[in-house]
Amino acid sequence: MEKQSFYQEFEVFSKRTATANFQHQFSLLAPNGEMALVMAQENFMRREPVVDIWVVNRKHLHGLTQDSKQALQRLDNKDYRTTKGYGYLKKKWRHYEQVMLDEKEILSWAGGGEKNE
Amino acid sequence: MSIVSQISEQELQEQFEARIAAGEKIEVDDWMPEEYRLALIKLISMHGISEIMGALPEKEWVPKAPTLYRKLGIMAKVQDEMGHGQLLLRVAEDLLKPYGKDRGDIMIDLFEGRLKFHNVFHMETKSWGDAGLIGWLVDGSAIISQTNMLGSSYGPYARALQRICAEEVFHAQHGEAIIMALAEGTPEQRALVQDAVNRWWESLLFFFGPASKDTTGTSKQDLTIKYKIRVLTNEELRQSFLTKYVPRIQSIGLTVPDPTLHFDEAQNKWIYQEPNWEYFKKIQRNEGPCSQERLALRRSSYENNAWVREALTALVN
Repeated sequence: MEKQSFYQEFEVFSKRTATANFQHQFSLLAPNGEMALVMAQENFMRREPVVDIWVVNRKHLHGLTQDSKQALQRLDNKDYRTTKGYGYLKKKWRHYEQVMLDEKEILSWAGGGEKNE
Repeated sequence: MSIVSQISEQELQEQFEARIAAGEKIEVDDWMPEEYRLALIKLISMHGISEIMGALPEKEWVPKAPTLYRKLGIMAKVQDEMGHGQLLLRVAEDLLKPYGKDRGDIMIDLFEGRLKFHNVFHMETKSWGDAGLIGWLVDGSAIISQTNMLGSSYGPYARALQRICAEEVFHAQHGEAIIMALAEGTPEQRALVQDAVNRWWESLLFFFGPASKDTTGTSKQDLTIKYKIRVLTNEELRQSFLTKYVPRIQSIGLTVPDPTLHFDEAQNKWIYQEPNWEYFKKIQRNEGPCSQERLALRRSSYENNAWVREALTALVN
């Protein structure tokens, strides 16, 4: 009886930096969320930088079964959905003496791009 | 509707073996043969409980550490060992769930002798040299046996080991720093560390276990290799330890207490004097120098803290 009531399983997530995504760390046992947050720091964040922590009670997680995971397998036929399907544009733009605005170029515009350099 | 329920055990076993062969990771809710589950439970609960029991010989040196820096270092290491125990017991108890067991049962199994803790943690620590040697060579051995399982087919164990091995690197360097200071110190300090090597050498050979089950009657190494939980055999690990550490031990002017020890080029392996495997079996039966003392310490701390668990239970209910 005591077994079932005392321990609850929590999954722990944390962020290393303000711009990072939350990342799964591991699981732990705690009687409640507050204790789980304390335990998470003791168990998983003794050295690495951390700016935020989530603990999620396992009973609130919805996951996939072993066989439904198989339905996640993708066929390699989605070129139309990715930049891979439009790679020929690079050559086209070169023909018109222009540089293609590819992902690397576009993402470099963050923070004003060249203006800040 | 589940596809899994429609196929036979035989097919499930075949699918499982194909997944292992393909290098896939098995997760806790995936189907697995009972043989695999039981091998993992035995291995990981023993590993987890050994981390916690291993903190005991080391924590003895917290009050006796020679400087504040060393005290902080060894305290951090002891805390890490308890943390590793937490990680591994989590992995073990998720595997135990179908049997209705949890970490309380793991503790009881330890107290009643059904679950062993690692043979190296039954030994006495007599000097600060021993504390350094444990960090350097015992943790060094632990790194060799744990990296051997980093690619484990069981995903949660592999992920726990990833975290553990990263911290073990600090542990080994912490031990090296203690040994280096003693080895470069006064004649008394050098004698202290040589004495530690002399007393711990047999334990270091015991560390990886006997080469085959002929020695002790049972060994899970064939099964765990078959299921890709580990890669190398006990003897291969021991050879790897000797290759890595014998030259280092000798380079700082220490002697290995085995005049027969040498690397045989023709056989491409280390030749060493076999430790006393009868003594090893005794240790495994919890009849080592500190077996009962450390079990008693663990038991009393479990019992003394029972009121905390009860109080928290009351809060939950």
